[in-house]
Amino acid sequence: MADARLSNEAATATVVGEGVNAAFNRDAVERRSAGLPEWLRQRRLAAWEVYERTPLPTTQVEEWRYTDVSLLKLDEVELEEAGGEAGGADAERLGLTGAAAGRALQVGARLVQVEVAEELQARGVIVMDLAEAAATHPELVEPYLGTRAVPPELGKFAALNGALWSGGVFVYVPRGVRIEEPIRVGRWMERPGVAVLPRTLLVADEGSQVAVVETFASPDFDAPALSCGVVEVYARTGSSVQYVAFQRWGHGVRHVSTQRTIAERDANLDTLVVNLGASVARVDLAARLEGPGARSDMLGLYFASGDQHFDHNTRQDHVVPHAHSDLLYKGALYDRAHTVFRGLIKVHPKAQRTDAYQTNRNLLLSPEARAESLPNLEIEADDVRCSHGATVGHLDEEELFYLMSRGMPRRIAERLVIFGFFGEVLERLPLPGLVEELRAAIEEQLH
Amino acid sequence: MPYNETVATLGLEQYKYHFITQVEPLFKAQKGLSEEVVRQISAHKEEPEWMLEFRLKALRIFQSKPMPTWGGDLSKLDLDDIYYYIRPQDRMKRSWDEVPESIKETFERLGIPEAERKILAGVGAQYESEMVYHSLKEEWARQGVIFESIENGLKKYPDLFREYFATVVPPHDNKFAALNSAVWSGGSFVYIPKGVKVDVPLQAYFRVNAERMGQFERTLIIADEGSQAHYIEGCTAPVYTTDSFHSGVIEIVVKPGARFRYTTIQNWPRNMYNLVTQRAIVHEGAHMEWLDGNLGSKLTMKYPSCYLVGEGAHGEILSIAYAGDGQHQDTGGKVVHVAPHTTSRIISKSISRGTGRASYRGLCKVYEGARGAKSNVQCDALLLHDTSRTDTFPYIEIEESTANVGHEASVSKIGEEQLFYLMSRGLSEEEATAMVVRGFIEPIARELPLEYAVELNRLIELEMEGSVG
Repeated sequence: MADARLSNEAATATVVGEGVNAAFNRDAVERRSAGLPEWLRQRRLAAWEVYERTPLPTTQVEEWRYTDVSLLKLDEVELEEAGGEAGGADAERLGLTGAAAGRALQVGARLVQVEVAEELQARGVIVMDLAEAAATHPELVEPYLGTRAVPPELGKFAALNGALWSGGVFVYVPRGVRIEEPIRVGRWMERPGVAVLPRTLLVADEGSQVAVVETFASPDFDAPALSCGVVEVYARTGSSVQYVAFQRWGHGVRHVSTQRTIAERDANLDTLVVNLGASVARVDLAARLEGPGARSDMLGLYFASGDQHFDHNTRQDHVVPHAHSDLLYKGALYDRAHTVFRGLIKVHPKAQRTDAYQTNRNLLLSPEARAESLPNLEIEADDVRCSHGATVGHLDEEELFYLMSRGMPRRIAERLVIFGFFGEVLERLPLPGLVEELRAAIEEQLH
Repeated sequence: MPYNETVATLGLEQYKYHFITQVEPLFKAQKGLSEEVVRQISAHKEEPEWMLEFRLKALRIFQSKPMPTWGGDLSKLDLDDIYYYIRPQDRMKRSWDEVPESIKETFERLGIPEAERKILAGVGAQYESEMVYHSLKEEWARQGVIFESIENGLKKYPDLFREYFATVVPPHDNKFAALNSAVWSGGSFVYIPKGVKVDVPLQAYFRVNAERMGQFERTLIIADEGSQAHYIEGCTAPVYTTDSFHSGVIEIVVKPGARFRYTTIQNWPRNMYNLVTQRAIVHEGAHMEWLDGNLGSKLTMKYPSCYLVGEGAHGEILSIAYAGDGQHQDTGGKVVHVAPHTTSRIISKSISRGTGRASYRGLCKVYEGARGAKSNVQCDALLLHDTSRTDTFPYIEIEESTANVGHEASVSKIGEEQLFYLMSRGLSEEEATAMVVRGFIEPIARELPLEYAVELNRLIELEMEGSVG
């Protein structure tokens, strides 16, 4: 028998609904539903009801064991109502200045810019404010928004976003349309003390190809701010989709994100989650492989320093035979940083011939850094190939010694080894332009 | 001479029909658990006051803790429908005729000596082993080794007992440790003096005589500085008992420089809930090994652990789990690194067959200050049928930047190519499957004493019968 650390205890109710933050209330839901189609208003209200009856997770809940929800400072923020000017955002940091097939920029509570290349628009590609799309293209939005991927029942924060999201982005790629350049989405927060609730819905129709890179950034704040986001990605039959969430919020921001991807038959759906910024980041990411021949590569990269706290909760759900998923999350920790990786490969009884892999590697670079790694497998089919591996270690002194014996100062040598460590993730990213951006961002972090 | 052979050479046929011991029931606590029952147990064992207090405190802890909702399904376990104490004499009133045919047949096919079968089936006392036991006992006494029932340990060595008892697994550790602390009965008390090396494994088997292995056994082992010993509990052959709940606590203290190995193989009946806490505190430069085999029971939840509290301590956990139809083996191991330069290794091999489910659940924790700690965990799972299930739930918690920790797990089914190769050499599919399974568990089986390894192999063969098609 074991102590409680080995427990998977189910949620026990503690703080329910109201009382978390008076700024989140039913009136706000109604306000945000104004002018929207009735079905969407109903959906927001339904999400609000789920939010109200769902308790805040406590560390007694297995999936929140290492992250105390009080770290999120939920009671110290107001609901952001204001928008801002596009000029107020750091377009460079958000990656909005380079080549792109489409762009969207959220500042504060609103989208201030949405555009898509004319040639693509002509072929039916949609990059649009999600609320507007719900009104103009209900047939493309209603079946997907908050339904199979991130219904409010997934959790307290998914429900909160479902009720109160604003500045949503909708991307639709019609059948057979293949887009070369990525679509860039920027999320910018101007001030502390507020909560933003970004939402992204990406639907790639049969045989299409698209990459969406979403970047979260802000100045450093000396008070808390909250970003409670949801991402839903649907890769229809035979499509090829890449989704990147690049989180580089400034100090003070609490980042909570629920991401779900659904891959149909023969679809390739790859994700990359990068966590560099924010004071606290909690990312729930699940890939559901729903069609035979579907493949999902799940990459993750995190670099935490100071008092940063990152918690990754991933899931690879194999519900049909002949699907493939491969997860690689790598993290480096400085100072008093604390990171958590919890991953689950779930192979359902009918999912024969599944190939599923999961690897988490952590580099502890300071004496007070702390990492938890919990790679889990639940396998209910026999003809499968599944494995997982996890390591927590430190810089290899021999590698450093070798570089230093070549005349390199220790600091530079360390950086080189760390870049080598992350290289394995970056190499697998099929977006060369983005790799350079990420390298530069990591470099910035190392200073 | 191995125990089996010794028994065989003793010409014990004459005892064949004398094994039934009719004993009048002297004392039987009522069903269910109450303070009264705990008081009765303690009074009956003529325990000192402090032990009664300890039991009562543990009872309160047990009552205050919720049932665990993780791990296996405990919803069918009715803790009120259990006799918490039965005098040992009462347990032997069964006759050989009552032992199910299936069990008898398994004994037959495992080639287990007649005398042992009775013991395993719980129908006879081990008169036959007395002679072997006595000669060993003299040897141990000469070395100063104490190997007693836990009850005798408390009576004869009260100070030594009290110094260590419940220091490794305190009652508040978990609900079932609290339960055991309240109602424990049976088990061993072992002390290996400084520098003493015990060559022959200490087998619970020899000692468990009149008092059959209890449902709430409690074992306390102290391996003093620089000593070496190997303790073996249980056996590979199926054990027949009418109990459906077993909850033991095993505490081991491995003092500086000592080496200790604890081997346990359980093959409880398929209706048994087996919830056990096994833990060792490992001091400076000491070495602890758990060899844990789980074949029987309906549900086993057992995670042998090593708390490495002294510099350079080493802990090792080798675990085999076999989950057949309707079985759930929720097993694994825990290593907790507290001191610098401590090292540990966990190797787990599990086989799920039919509707069986094998779960590995483990913890590797490195506290800040355990500089240079190293730990490696490897779990391999083999699935034999499409209805079989396996899980892996490792927890890795690292607070020390100079630590190196790795975990790897793989899940696979038996390779078609391996089977094809063996079958092309004339083996039947069943034989080939059994051979692959044996190869799979070999890294752990080879650590077992010979007679156990042989029995384990035979048992795997038996289990594989009918596994094909």
